[in-house]
Amino acid sequence: MDDYKFLFKVVLVGNAGVGKTCLVRRFTQGLFPPGQGATIGVDFMIKTVEVGNEKVKLQIWDTAGQERFRSITQSYYRSAHALILVYDISSQPTFDCLPDWLREIEEYASSKVLRILVGNKIDREDREIPENVGEEFAERHNMYYLETSAKESDNVEKLFMQIAEDLMKQARTRDLPRYDSNNQTIDGRTSTINDSSCCSRLQ
Amino acid sequence: MTELKYAELQKSYQLELKKLEKEEETLVDELNNMLNQKTFLEDKIKGLAKLLPTLKVIKHEAQDLVNTVNNISDSSEKISGNIRSLDNARSRVEECQARVSDLIDLEICSQGVQTAILDSDYEKGAAHVHRFLSMDQSLLKRTANDMDNISNMLKSVRTLQDAASQLRAIVTHKFTEAVNAEDLVSIERFFKIFPLLGLHEEGIKEFCTYLRTKVAAAADKNLKSAVSTPPSDKRHTIVYADTLTLLYEGLARITDTHQPLIETYYGPGRLLAAISILQKECDIQTKRVLLEWGKTRQINKKNQMINELSRMSSSSSFNKLEKIEPKDLDILIVEITLMHFRIELYNRFIQRKITSDAEVGIPNQDDRNNILKSLEQLIKNSDLSQCKHELLSHYLRLEQYYMEESVAKAIAMDSVEMGQQTSSMVDDTFFIIRKCIRRSVSTGSLDGICVIINNACRVLESDFGEVLRGRLRQGYPSGYLDLTQAYNVLQTSIQQGRLQSGDTEQSRLAFLVALNNADSSTEYVDALCDNVLKEIEQALPNLNSNERGKLESCLSGLSSVTTNLKDIIEYGIQQLRSSAIKPRINPWVDQFLNMSHHLTDDELSAYEAGESFVQTLIMNLETLLSSFKDILTSANYDLLTQVLTAEVTQRLEKVIMKTTFNRLGGLVLDKEVRSLAGYITAATSWSVRDKFARLTQIATILNLEQVNEIYDYWGSHDGALTWRLTPTELRNIIALRTDFKVEEIRRLKL
Ligand SMILES: Nc1nc2c(ncn2[C@@H]2O[C@H](COP(=O)(O)OP(=O)(O)O)[C@@H](O)[C@H]2O)c(=O)[nH]1
Ligand SMILES: [Mg+2]
Repeated sequence: MDDYKFLFKVVLVGNAGVGKTCLVRRFTQGLFPPGQGATIGVDFMIKTVEVGNEKVKLQIWDTAGQERFRSITQSYYRSAHALILVYDISSQPTFDCLPDWLREIEEYASSKVLRILVGNKIDREDREIPENVGEEFAERHNMYYLETSAKESDNVEKLFMQIAEDLMKQARTRDLPRYDSNNQTIDGRTSTINDSSCCSRLQ
Repeated sequence: MTELKYAELQKSYQLELKKLEKEEETLVDELNNMLNQKTFLEDKIKGLAKLLPTLKVIKHEAQDLVNTVNNISDSSEKISGNIRSLDNARSRVEECQARVSDLIDLEICSQGVQTAILDSDYEKGAAHVHRFLSMDQSLLKRTANDMDNISNMLKSVRTLQDAASQLRAIVTHKFTEAVNAEDLVSIERFFKIFPLLGLHEEGIKEFCTYLRTKVAAAADKNLKSAVSTPPSDKRHTIVYADTLTLLYEGLARITDTHQPLIETYYGPGRLLAAISILQKECDIQTKRVLLEWGKTRQINKKNQMINELSRMSSSSSFNKLEKIEPKDLDILIVEITLMHFRIELYNRFIQRKITSDAEVGIPNQDDRNNILKSLEQLIKNSDLSQCKHELLSHYLRLEQYYMEESVAKAIAMDSVEMGQQTSSMVDDTFFIIRKCIRRSVSTGSLDGICVIINNACRVLESDFGEVLRGRLRQGYPSGYLDLTQAYNVLQTSIQQGRLQSGDTEQSRLAFLVALNNADSSTEYVDALCDNVLKEIEQALPNLNSNERGKLESCLSGLSSVTTNLKDIIEYGIQQLRSSAIKPRINPWVDQFLNMSHHLTDDELSAYEAGESFVQTLIMNLETLLSSFKDILTSANYDLLTQVLTAEVTQRLEKVIMKTTFNRLGGLVLDKEVRSLAGYITAATSWSVRDKFARLTQIATILNLEQVNEIYDYWGSHDGALTWRLTPTELRNIIALRTDFKVEEIRRLKL
């Protein structure tokens, strides 16, 4: 049953209300949840996808955006393989907070983590952040960029599949270890001794 | 007068009912008679059937019979029709009776209610109103239309309606008065009257609002006493947790005592409304307690300091003096976990109470689900839950700091006792981590537990692991190990973080202890994961599958710390290999080259009588290994012997390839390889066959009588070996035997 070859941890961060939970639900359950409350702490979901005949298990951590949950959510950055930073294209304040989120990522996440900037809610008419502004921001900070709509299911599948493919490629070429069900090396934290710079001291 | 009229009416209806009942009786008798006749006739038909010749007669009679049967069915139809109308009549009579009794009650109530109000007998008055409210109001209207003289009845209705609103006002007013007078008997008295007047929601609201004032007063008193608790008091350090406990226990007691009252007089399913009102007071009082707690315990200042310290330590210019002593946080952390757990328990209490109240009192599934949804919202959106989250956040920051600082301290105070394989930092670190995780379990929050596990993982891999790595990185000075002096001096120098370059013995010991620490830590990690899982399952028995997944993911992160530790061990073992094993072993094995491997029979006897190459080698290996045997953990010692075996066999292989042999030389080699393998097998707990496979095969080849004997071992027959040598290697080896003919070797088909 659990015959996957790779397991990757994907963590979603960003202000409360930008649609992180909806993106995850859309991807894992194929639905747009009506009026669910704000996330408390962190939520955890799993979806196994196939990339080129290989089973890849994505462990998706959906975090709460509010400040009072920060000490919970921060503790999940370190073991993340990919971090999705989400803002709402119809809300300038959520875009303005991005630098704060980046600072947090710098501080707590591995330097090798795959980082993706996502502008969500493109189905909305009242866009405040033009696409090129988001794109430039992402480029400036060395991130992938994608615009999505959890509501209309735009680019959601693509977002997660691209992450899975990218992490697979990394795993094959770099030192991300293969998941081996006998010993639980489920993350990319194998700092080899010769490479002392690598994530042995993240802070 | 009207009463008389009603009585007459009733009488005439009853007469009619009796008449109809008599008629029904005679009809039923008739029907029975006919039914008797029917069986009789059926018997007759049977008899007639035998009389075929008189068919005509029978046909005639059958016709008669048919007619009779038809008659019977007609009659029965008529009868059932009659019965139906009889039923109708009866239900009409019943309705009529109800209307009559409503009218009579209406009259009685309207007369009684005023007297009751005048007598201040509010229970009686409310009972009248309750009777009036329980009447089918549309039926009343219909009765009124049917009546000749409706003014009397309408008057009664109006009287009662007026009385109802009058009573509502009175009861509300009296309740307030009773509350102001703290008159418990009256409070309860009027609380029971509200629902009689149809004021369920108001009654609960008024009553719970009153209860709120009681809660507030008690909370106020408790908080004052908490604030003034002297530091000498035994419970001073957890006095705010105690205050919260009192608050929630008080609320729970109120809920428990009043639930039966509410259920009896208001009906089931009303607890949510009651608790929602109390929740507001609970929110307010909790916030007050926490505000006071925050001030007294200087929680913001501590948070700020911790934040600054973490920022400073990353820029590595921090002043040790300003640090908060982790031990000083111990007490505060305990208090927070207690407070958090109390809130958690209170939330669970509400949840349990309201759920079971809804399950008992609300039969409709949808209504019940709505209640449960409202309950979830009530808990989720309460200020209490906000406070809980904030407390957890405080807890996590403090606990994280505590863990990091305590582990740093354990490392700084690291010491190794004479004759010990590991140093104190391992025991101490895992003690701290276990303590922190245990403490997180006592918060009752799965999210909290997961975070502490994540942090433990980070501290072990980064802080703790990095120290072990660092010590191994300093290397193992080559030379023999003599520990007699090392332990004493190591004690002090290890704590300085760096050993003086001259102290080679200490450096060696420090290196080996670090290697052992890593090994012993893998066992600690495994045990930790097991124990933690058990403890969590005990503390939170009702995890759903999603929560379990979350927990297991975090725990698997912790257990994968062992991978990290194994890397560290591997690194250390490779260091040992290059500095302690390789340089020592090479000259010993190279002695092989100084020996002749072309022996005569005499030389063979002489060789065997004296000290042979392999005896010397084994003796040297023995000395080397025994110097490590007691100081290394058994797992590390095994790793070392594996590395040593690999080195010896590879080197021996190399020197063999540089030597030539005659028959007896090959014989000796075979013997020597066997005794070497025997020695190493005895010295370790793992199988060496694999490591010796190539060497054994080389010896076998060099020990052949003739070249062609190789076919005994080569090929696909039963006696053949699984070769670790390629055909080319085999040819090269066999060619080392100078007594074998080159052409013969060349002719070999491999
Ligand atoms: N129009 C639109 N609304 C969205 C979209 N995604 C989320 N929302 C809405 O945004 C609100 C917050 O979504 P949620 O997923 O809870 O945000 P989170 O706090 O980041 O997890 C909800 O009311 C959603 O219905 C989207 O793609 N389009
Ligand atoms: Mg959410």
